[in-house]
Amino acid sequence: MVLPPVAVVAVFIGFPVGAAIAYTLGKTGGPNSTVSLLAQRQHVAHHGVTTAAYREVLGNSHVRADLWATVWVTLVTIAVVVLLSWAIGLYLRLSDTRISRIVSALSVIPLFIPVVIASYAILTFYASQGFIKTLAYHLGWHSFPTLGYTLWAVVIGEIWVNVPFGVLMMSSGLNSVPNALIEAARDSGASLPRTVRSVLLPMNVIPTVIVATFTGIYVLGSFTVPYLTGPSAPNLMGVSMANFFSAFNQPQQAEVMAMIVFVLAIGIGTIYIWANVRAAKRASSTT
Amino acid sequence: MKARLLAIAVAVLVFVPAAFSAVDAGGSMHAAKKANAGTTIVVYASGDVNVQNLWQNNIIPQFEKANKGIYVKFVFSEHGTQDGTTLARIGAAVKGRHWPGIDLVDGGLVTTMASAGLNQPVKKATAPNLKKVNPDLLVPVKGNAIPYRGSSVVLAYNTDHVKSPPKTLQGLLDWIKANPGKFTYNSPNSGGSGYSFAETVVDSFLSKSVNTQMVNDYVPNLESNWKQGFDTLHGLNKYVYQGVYPNGNAAVLTLLGQGQIWVAPVWSDQALTALKNGQLGPNIKLSQISSPSFTGGAAYLAVPKTAKHKKVLYKFVNYVLSPKAQQMIVDVMAGFPAIDVKYMGDAIKQKFQDVDANILRQTYNTKMQNDFKAQWQQTVP
Amino acid sequence: MSAVESQGVALGGLEQAELPVARTARRRRPTARSLTLRIVGTVFVLALLVFMVGPIVWLAVRAFSGLWQYPQFLPSDWTLQWWRTVFDDKTLGHSMRLSFEFAPIVTVASAAICLPAAYAFSRFNFPGRRVLLVSLFATNAFPKIGLYISMAGVFYSLNLMGTFLGVVIVQLIGTIVFMTWIPTAAFSAIPRSLEEAARDVGAGPLRVFFRVTFPLAAPGIFVAMILSFLAAFDEAQGTFLVGIPNYITMPTEMYTLVLNYPEQAAAVFSILLAIPSVVLMSLARKHVMGGKLAEGFQIR
Repeated sequence: MVLPPVAVVAVFIGFPVGAAIAYTLGKTGGPNSTVSLLAQRQHVAHHGVTTAAYREVLGNSHVRADLWATVWVTLVTIAVVVLLSWAIGLYLRLSDTRISRIVSALSVIPLFIPVVIASYAILTFYASQGFIKTLAYHLGWHSFPTLGYTLWAVVIGEIWVNVPFGVLMMSSGLNSVPNALIEAARDSGASLPRTVRSVLLPMNVIPTVIVATFTGIYVLGSFTVPYLTGPSAPNLMGVSMANFFSAFNQPQQAEVMAMIVFVLAIGIGTIYIWANVRAAKRASSTT
Repeated sequence: MKARLLAIAVAVLVFVPAAFSAVDAGGSMHAAKKANAGTTIVVYASGDVNVQNLWQNNIIPQFEKANKGIYVKFVFSEHGTQDGTTLARIGAAVKGRHWPGIDLVDGGLVTTMASAGLNQPVKKATAPNLKKVNPDLLVPVKGNAIPYRGSSVVLAYNTDHVKSPPKTLQGLLDWIKANPGKFTYNSPNSGGSGYSFAETVVDSFLSKSVNTQMVNDYVPNLESNWKQGFDTLHGLNKYVYQGVYPNGNAAVLTLLGQGQIWVAPVWSDQALTALKNGQLGPNIKLSQISSPSFTGGAAYLAVPKTAKHKKVLYKFVNYVLSPKAQQMIVDVMAGFPAIDVKYMGDAIKQKFQDVDANILRQTYNTKMQNDFKAQWQQTVP
Repeated sequence: MSAVESQGVALGGLEQAELPVARTARRRRPTARSLTLRIVGTVFVLALLVFMVGPIVWLAVRAFSGLWQYPQFLPSDWTLQWWRTVFDDKTLGHSMRLSFEFAPIVTVASAAICLPAAYAFSRFNFPGRRVLLVSLFATNAFPKIGLYISMAGVFYSLNLMGTFLGVVIVQLIGTIVFMTWIPTAAFSAIPRSLEEAARDVGAGPLRVFFRVTFPLAAPGIFVAMILSFLAAFDEAQGTFLVGIPNYITMPTEMYTLVLNYPEQAAAVFSILLAIPSVVLMSLARKHVMGGKLAEGFQIR
């Protein structure tokens, strides 16, 4: 029963991933013969494997700058998305008014806007004649810095795109905490922050980790948002990979970068699995 | 009540389109209607929207009218965004001897296909109009692709702020430094107008013979000659608009149209189309520079080795190179014909009489271009 | 787990989530502190609304604008001409229709192959269960741009290139994680005792599934279907790789539309493209918010 989805993934993704890994190590035959036909500046392994491609890519200071940019943009996005999701989730959970429901509904809208449109909207909003600059102008601040085409625009765009999933996840997690518990805490005299810290937070570690993980993986491989809103350099890895693949016609180097992103993503995924396993252990040890 | 509404919405969304496509029986409705009788060939173009307009609304309908029984299906993708994917598709197909789903390709990827040996060479015997094509254009692709139009990059300027535009490259560089934040060009990896500006600056430091070698062949050992040009470009960073080089030809046109920059390199045909559809206002005019002039170049077509209906295809290629179709390129797209103007009407001969031979200053061999873009990305921004 | 937490787990259930907390809010006389909090809260909500909704509204206004000079907040000249320009464009309709054809079919197909697997993951504790679940997740983490050439080779050797089924498979790959993980949790949340009770009264296994298990798991499965629909809808490059020449969907068109036309026309396109999603969302909101989404991503 389990076979169909596993088979689909194994054949259509697993096998190409294997071929890609082989290509980065210099194996240009077999399934990689087509791509090596098209490529320039490749490192071919005549016997066994070679790490020349990895050494070239990792030795390139601009690629390293791109990598660093990707990492910090990812970390900042994760932090802000987690905070915002908690804030909106708590707001919905603790004060069930019409306004709170409207706010939470609106904060999910970006999920349904195609990412090309979303990036374009973010760029126009924060551009040098966009809303933020107009607002600043009317408040008397004539030379407010323009955020469009900077890494901050990318951060804002990524946050915007990932908040909906975060809000859905946190509101779902917070909702599964029964009222009785919250009331019990309040009745024994705990202030609101204390209630959040002692009751809601520990019960929602897993949803928080989920939000962080999915956001992180998304931003690591992201292309459209940085392509449309970001600076010329440094680029995020997704844009840089596309450049190496198409514009510079260096697919082997692009595959190496894909491997780096993959390893980072797996790293994030491991944290997620560890958190889950730990929670499952605790659950089974006390029942 | 709400649950009912929701269930109905879901049902509609899922089952109506599914029913539609079941009726469709695995083909798109247009293709099904058209391909019932006669042959269908598939043309793929990657470029900006003026290229789409040329094919979709001009060349293809006229060809179909003149050749009843032949249908041309047109697939278009925005300049460069799907080139890697399409190349993957064609490469895998030719290697495995399958039909790539495309019979004729127009776009930047054609030259990469040529150097990878994926193209079917087209002979003058099968497409006689090839004889009319300027032979210089066939050299960089070694006969493996068909040049079908020319385009050049020009300087666009905003007449509200720029009374007389710079006429030479040095003049342009001086203008940029004197007017910080009012000029930019798109990153070379994402669009040809920006690429042309960058290459022109670098070419101004090269000797003629080195330049010619780079046009005709892949000579990576000569790339050290680019250093001076890249240093100059790097020096411009603090003078360009927000220190950024946007992605894509169209992004620069947008900035120009909004008045955020006053001068920019643009494709001549794209700019003229933009002036027509309102993206650029009437205050934008075009001009040339010299010493050296911007590069231009031919746009090439390619026939993948495993394309179908090759005889019909050569007929189509021949049509594209005919004076009638080349006229469309001049009128509709404001491009340059690929065939010698002596084969075209008097009006065209007149128009191109005054055109400086420098206009179509050729750009580098494809692999050199790729290395150029890589080095630009590493050294300039 | 503390006693508080275990009590929480025991009490947690569908019924509990419905009760609002607001009814038990304490009433206090407004103090300076609570007033400051209120103001801060309001400012925060306003800023949040501007942040989340602002860009879309800003773009949408442009769809109706004629002349708009910085630094004005609103255009000085309103017009509908851009709508006319867009509706005159014939190519948009075809790819939009294709997108709406593929996404539902992919969602249903994904459900068909993944739900039985999800049931198996939840009910049967076979060896390698966790490894398989995780690997389904891991393979999606590899940037797809690096895979296209090899994928093309696989599709060609299976004769799937350029076919309807091929495109369905490509889009389906992106939905597998949602369609296995979330329903697995949804099924796991249903006590086996219910299924056993039904079987004890003589119902066959299929009947048990459709009358007992499925209705209880429905909200979770529904959420998975929505996320899968969106993933299939937004899938651009893989669809293009496999779909040429007959199956070009909307995301591919969108780059052209947004970049090549004057800003106002791009704004019109944006509104048109966003409408179906927003409608779907407003109908589904109640199930998706405050539902069982969080549990869907836990590995047990």
